[in-house]
Amino acid sequence: MGIISPIGASVEQNLMALRAGTCGISKGNFIQSKYSELLPFGEVKFSNESLEETLNAHEPGVTRTSLLTLHAFKDAVEDAGFSAGIIRSPDTAFIGADTVGGMCLTDEMYKDANLLSHGSAYLASYDFASVNMYIQSRFHLQGIVNTINTACSSSANAIMYGARLIQQGYATRAIVGGSDSLSKFTVNGFNSLNILSNEICKPFDEQRKGLNLGEGAAFLVLEKEEDVGSKKVYAELSGFCNKNDAYHPSSLSEVGEGPYLAMSGALKAASLSPSQIDFINAHGTGTENNDAVESAALLRVFEKVPAFASTKSNIGHTLGASGAIEAVYSVLNIVHQEMYPALHFQSPIPASSLIPNLSYERRKVQHVLSNSFGFGGNCTSLVFSKT
Amino acid sequence: MFYIHDIAAISPVHELFASSPENTNIISGNKLLAVEPVYAGIPPTVLRRMGKAVRMSVGAALHIIQKHPQLDGVIIGTANGGMEDSIKFMNQIVQYEEGLLTPGNFVQSTPNGLASQIAFMVKNKNYNNTHVHRGLSFENALLDVVMLLSEQPSASYLLGGADEISSYNYNIDWLAGWYKKEEVSAERLFNSSTNGTIAGEGAAMFLVNNTRTSATAKFTSLFTSHSTDEAEIQKKLEHFLEKHLPKGEQLDLVLSGENGDRRLLPFYEAMEATVGENAGLLRFKHLCGEYPTASSFALWLSCNILQTQTIPAVLEKRKARSTTFRNLLVYNSFQGHQHSFMLISAVE
Repeated sequence: MGIISPIGASVEQNLMALRAGTCGISKGNFIQSKYSELLPFGEVKFSNESLEETLNAHEPGVTRTSLLTLHAFKDAVEDAGFSAGIIRSPDTAFIGADTVGGMCLTDEMYKDANLLSHGSAYLASYDFASVNMYIQSRFHLQGIVNTINTACSSSANAIMYGARLIQQGYATRAIVGGSDSLSKFTVNGFNSLNILSNEICKPFDEQRKGLNLGEGAAFLVLEKEEDVGSKKVYAELSGFCNKNDAYHPSSLSEVGEGPYLAMSGALKAASLSPSQIDFINAHGTGTENNDAVESAALLRVFEKVPAFASTKSNIGHTLGASGAIEAVYSVLNIVHQEMYPALHFQSPIPASSLIPNLSYERRKVQHVLSNSFGFGGNCTSLVFSKT
Repeated sequence: MFYIHDIAAISPVHELFASSPENTNIISGNKLLAVEPVYAGIPPTVLRRMGKAVRMSVGAALHIIQKHPQLDGVIIGTANGGMEDSIKFMNQIVQYEEGLLTPGNFVQSTPNGLASQIAFMVKNKNYNNTHVHRGLSFENALLDVVMLLSEQPSASYLLGGADEISSYNYNIDWLAGWYKKEEVSAERLFNSSTNGTIAGEGAAMFLVNNTRTSATAKFTSLFTSHSTDEAEIQKKLEHFLEKHLPKGEQLDLVLSGENGDRRLLPFYEAMEATVGENAGLLRFKHLCGEYPTASSFALWLSCNILQTQTIPAVLEKRKARSTTFRNLLVYNSFQGHQHSFMLISAVE
């Protein structure tokens, strides 16, 4: 696994921060927006220049989204012990997700798109695929490469697609995940929808005021059980399901049909009954709509809702990266047999009375459910299990 | 690997397989714009909010869904989705200095809006995915469907590819040198010896499942590759044909993604050398223009050719030796760094 987030630039740093209940959300230092001082952001604590330096990424046209991707990708393949030959082998698939791509360069793109420039260095870096094309070309990847964008559930779908490629024999191993960087584009987009909180987000709290945008990247390496041999194994991806809420472009149905179907489908795929889930990494964005709907759906799926929390209270909503970052956090729950505290929570939503897990706890964690729900009703749930 | 049943496309081409087959839309400023139908199935208030990529996708999809309402999922490939809305929103951000903005363009800009608006229109709660891998977006959607039909053999899926010409996006690719600096007519596109091509757009939708009965065509196999080396692509094509063309059968037709860009010609020439002299050679980019999901238009065209066993003359670069067409190869390259092979067969 490899990760870079507002609470750390490695799996180890993220683990320590989760255990300590660290919140990485604060005023923006690097994002170029009039809101950088006005709203809280889950920003990765490195400038582009410093990322370029540590990653030796000096190619022209490299964007922040690509740099975050490269950081997490490199860590993931190193952690898996992959040689350059294995990485570029035709049976190694690479599936990445993002929703911002090079649009983090809002001002450069504005000039290029309106012919107010003679062409910046970023002409081939604005689209979603540019991020993964950069990795493809830097590592000479020859296997299947894909980019998925289903808004906030993007990287959960990238994980699912990679797993299916392996199941169906299109790859022996898959490097899967996603990334996104903070951008003027998404800040203004979410702000126009009135779903950004001017305070630090409070997932599942009665007084929640909205989400905080974050950034980061995470990648996981998947292999088939029979190919694992003596290699280190963190956890099993035991189930997944993708469904659509089919209700509204930017909000979820009151009864949470999409979330309900995704969660029940993932449990079914993992051959688990709801009572076997020990912990849920909830989507929990901190918006009025998501948390109410997700709570309603949890109550529909689970007779007794298991321990749950949203790590968006630590890092904000990292959009295209969130499914992958939260997959890494779910795997950490399993590897270390522990649960991390949800932050900033005070009082439950009256209609559901659900209270997230509020303290660090060591306990048996056999199965974790991770939820990712997006605009367009795109809902995907993943189940990770202890091997 | 699966069967294609119903097909629908909204493209710059008027009734290509009807009485006057060579009637394509007028090109203006190197942009080949899609001819949009009257969208009868979309409520006017909803239609007004839709960007062109969404409109074309929903329009083509409804054409199929009206006849096949039971769908087990919607899988779309689109490199950019609602690009025009993205940049309209970006322009607002800059022009109003991040002031109070209306969310309409932002909501319409997300590329998963194509697949999800199709799902909303018909309340389809099943599998829904959007692949955005530039020139291999549609191919990855195709592979998704191949896997789905192996996981759920009795299911039916809506598969589609769509992209729109946005004037802004055209500007970005023009600055990058992907469009011709001089105006060129569609008829003269392949005689051009300069860099760049003409822009295009469209949406093509397919109802696919594992049922052979009354199928339009059979999708046999797919291969995708990232490379800038034509010798490598040629080797991969040889291997692909050896592996997937049924023993004792020949390639009857080849649909080439040639687009009038001098720099990409070596890839297409290498492909022509590999397939040999027997196969008829067809081209299509003068009809639909170049866009990242143009291979979905090529698949739509292939289905029509195999089903009707006729070839509109406007496509022909070299006539086929055979008069019946069984195996058809599509080779497409996007900007010379992404490549795909698709093998499609007739269903007797």
